[in-house]
Amino acid sequence: MFYRPMLHRGKAMRATLAAASALAFVYAAPAFGKDVGLYGPVAENPVMGGRLNMGLLVEPPGLDPFHQAADARIRVTVLMYQGLFYESPEGRAEPLLAESYEVSDDGLTYTIKLRQGVVFHTGKEMTAEDVAYSYNYIRDPKNGSPGAGDFATVKSVEVVDPSTVRFSLSVPNAALPMALGNKYGAVVPAGTFDDENARNLMNVQSFGTGPFKLVEFTPNSHIVLDKNEDYWDKGMPYLDGIDFAILPNSASMLVALQNQRIDLVALARPQDVKQVEGVAGLSIERWPSLGQASIDLGAETKPLDDVRVRQAISLAVDKKQIMQASVGDYGTVLGTVPAGLQEHWGLALDKVPMQGPNIEKAKALLAEAGHPDGFTLKLTTINGYDWMDPAAVTLRQQLGAIGITLDIQKVDLGVWINSFRSSQMGFTFNDWATQPDPNLLFYRHFHRKPDGADFRNWANDEASALLDSGRAEADPAKRREIYDKFQTILADTAPTIMLFSPDHITVRGEKVQNYVQHPTGWYYGLARTYLSE
Amino acid sequence: MGAYLIKRLGVSLLTALVASMLVFMLMRLVPGDVVAQMMGQAGGEQAAGTMRQFFGLDQPAYLQYASWLGRVVQGDLGNSWTRGLPVTMLIWQAFLVTLEVALLTLFVATVIGVPLGILAGIFENRWIDNVVQGFNVLGLSAPVFWVGLMLLVGISSLFAWSPPLRYVAPSRSLADNLSILALPVASLALLQVAAYSQFVRQNVVSALHQEYVRTAVAKGVPVRTIFFKHILRNVLIPIITFMGLILIQILGGVVIIESLFALPGLGRLLLTAIETRDYPVVQGALLVVVAAAMVVNLVVDLAYRLIDPRVRVS
Repeated sequence: MFYRPMLHRGKAMRATLAAASALAFVYAAPAFGKDVGLYGPVAENPVMGGRLNMGLLVEPPGLDPFHQAADARIRVTVLMYQGLFYESPEGRAEPLLAESYEVSDDGLTYTIKLRQGVVFHTGKEMTAEDVAYSYNYIRDPKNGSPGAGDFATVKSVEVVDPSTVRFSLSVPNAALPMALGNKYGAVVPAGTFDDENARNLMNVQSFGTGPFKLVEFTPNSHIVLDKNEDYWDKGMPYLDGIDFAILPNSASMLVALQNQRIDLVALARPQDVKQVEGVAGLSIERWPSLGQASIDLGAETKPLDDVRVRQAISLAVDKKQIMQASVGDYGTVLGTVPAGLQEHWGLALDKVPMQGPNIEKAKALLAEAGHPDGFTLKLTTINGYDWMDPAAVTLRQQLGAIGITLDIQKVDLGVWINSFRSSQMGFTFNDWATQPDPNLLFYRHFHRKPDGADFRNWANDEASALLDSGRAEADPAKRREIYDKFQTILADTAPTIMLFSPDHITVRGEKVQNYVQHPTGWYYGLARTYLSE
Repeated sequence: MGAYLIKRLGVSLLTALVASMLVFMLMRLVPGDVVAQMMGQAGGEQAAGTMRQFFGLDQPAYLQYASWLGRVVQGDLGNSWTRGLPVTMLIWQAFLVTLEVALLTLFVATVIGVPLGILAGIFENRWIDNVVQGFNVLGLSAPVFWVGLMLLVGISSLFAWSPPLRYVAPSRSLADNLSILALPVASLALLQVAAYSQFVRQNVVSALHQEYVRTAVAKGVPVRTIFFKHILRNVLIPIITFMGLILIQILGGVVIIESLFALPGLGRLLLTAIETRDYPVVQGALLVVVAAAMVVNLVVDLAYRLIDPRVRVS
């Protein structure tokens, strides 16, 4: 039930928590059935009009969907820019700017029929030429998009007729529609980037087809979006506009919430949530997430190259304890996929191998690997990720029990990303999010080089072969079987230990209605939000 | 005077050049660059390479510096790498906000701090002095962010009010502008009022103990004349020096207050630019900060001369 929030107060929350303790957080069955539309549930009698004030704790570093990978950017730009498909919370790629599509029998050709009557914010009507241009631009690494890798299997994008495009692939890729979603790139008018200044202009005006248009972006201050009056999905959005206030300090944010300067905010730290608990007029809601807090074990770092050492560490870890220390109860303990993927793609939690805490077995494995007295290991944490500090202390205690001494080192994100991308990550905490598809979650991170990036130097042939067949397989049931096998190997050989998914937490004022938080953390739900009078 | 100004200008330019070089080098010594930040965990090496080329980061550092300097000389600070907007525009907008906050704070601190200090000095060790000194200890020891937070939370719970979040320029609406700036200025001013009155009090006290003052009192010179002619005149010079120092201090310390109250000022611009390794903005903003500090110093020096002709500008 991705669309039903876990109400923080009252019966619903208690019920959810009770269910959670019994079922280890199963996010139940869809609650809204057929009235779940694109971006969120269709409101029954929405009040049209009004402007919503939303607080942003993290400022988008820029609004260019083609060249800026930051999550803070994506959260906001999904309202202005659209791809061919929408990443439904249930893990389906639903046609967005596409109307329908056909896949050839060999899985190598996707023929996509485009939605008619779509108009860009610039006033121009969308045609197949624009779609081909946009995807050809992003997939060419020479254009410098961080998303280029997601389109590596695409050989060509061609215009068939004004309302049809054809994607030809080098290998079958069942996750293609999901990659044609809204994380990187979007459909923009053909020739947009011919203007050298275009990527700068994207901070001044929007070129997309989404339900909202950019009016103003003043760095360190605010972002103003207005309703797109020509939006193709008539009746959407309900609001006249959204005013984002960029307020980097959570204490000020909470004061602004209490004084109704802000109607809605997504919070990240449990201690902030505590401060607004019980404040009249504010509702706190929790939502499952596709993000994950994890430990990565880079095999380039000795003795993590020995699988028995990695297994011992995996067995010594008590995920629940780390989560409690980091985010309290505002999260979900993981097996091998983030919480938002567990129901549809996760290996059943009781089948995940090498799960701790099992100190004896861990010690035995360490001794077998030649480290009966343990060793010292450097743990990297990243500046600005609050959960990592308590987690690091807890992990030091847990690994201390099997003789491993942790030397905790905190680095800047830029530094961390450089060692991550050059596959020199060592032993580190990680914090990353995915789209709701197993191929997009696993392939790049865990497939052998050069097809994948194999950041952790795992170099596992069997797992790589499974990732290849998982990507090619179109039948969901068979696909799930393949990924179950993959996840078993992943947990058994522990190149990564997924700890927990921190819940998305939103706080809203009384008049904010029908907002649902998408598991990606992106603000799709604002297109279905209205303000009661 | 003309020669003095030219000399001062020359030294200032040289200082600015050295400062810009230092900033340039330091920023490049900090690991991680804008491309790493833009690419995040995604993005292949080829795409990253393209972006480095796009920003000129593939060039040797000295060439990058030379081409940056070449454009600066022509008055072009380039575009922000993340925001895309011209650096000059970003800095100018942010500078106006910070300048307004700084000048308002200076105004409030002077108007309240100087009379308080004079009162405390004249009534040395009397109850007024004790009250002022007590306040000074409080003001000097309370961290600015704490004062800001307490004001924000206190006023919010007392009056259910907090400042609007979107900055409005005074030219658009002075009332809105002041309602946004009242709390940030108050938070910054508390410390400065305390520092000011403490400083003025000490100067007044030491002036009062001077022999010429004693002589004037003995001669029966009216108190008012003693105060304006003998005390205030002597106290004024250090006050003006102090004003310059305080202004520079406010400009430097405004970052936290800008973050707390969502003000799009220079401090916050600089901070986010450093975080995202947006070199053109960092370099440009620091150049402006250095230039502002120099202008303030120069104005202070010139003001000495006006107040006290004995000070030879040399």
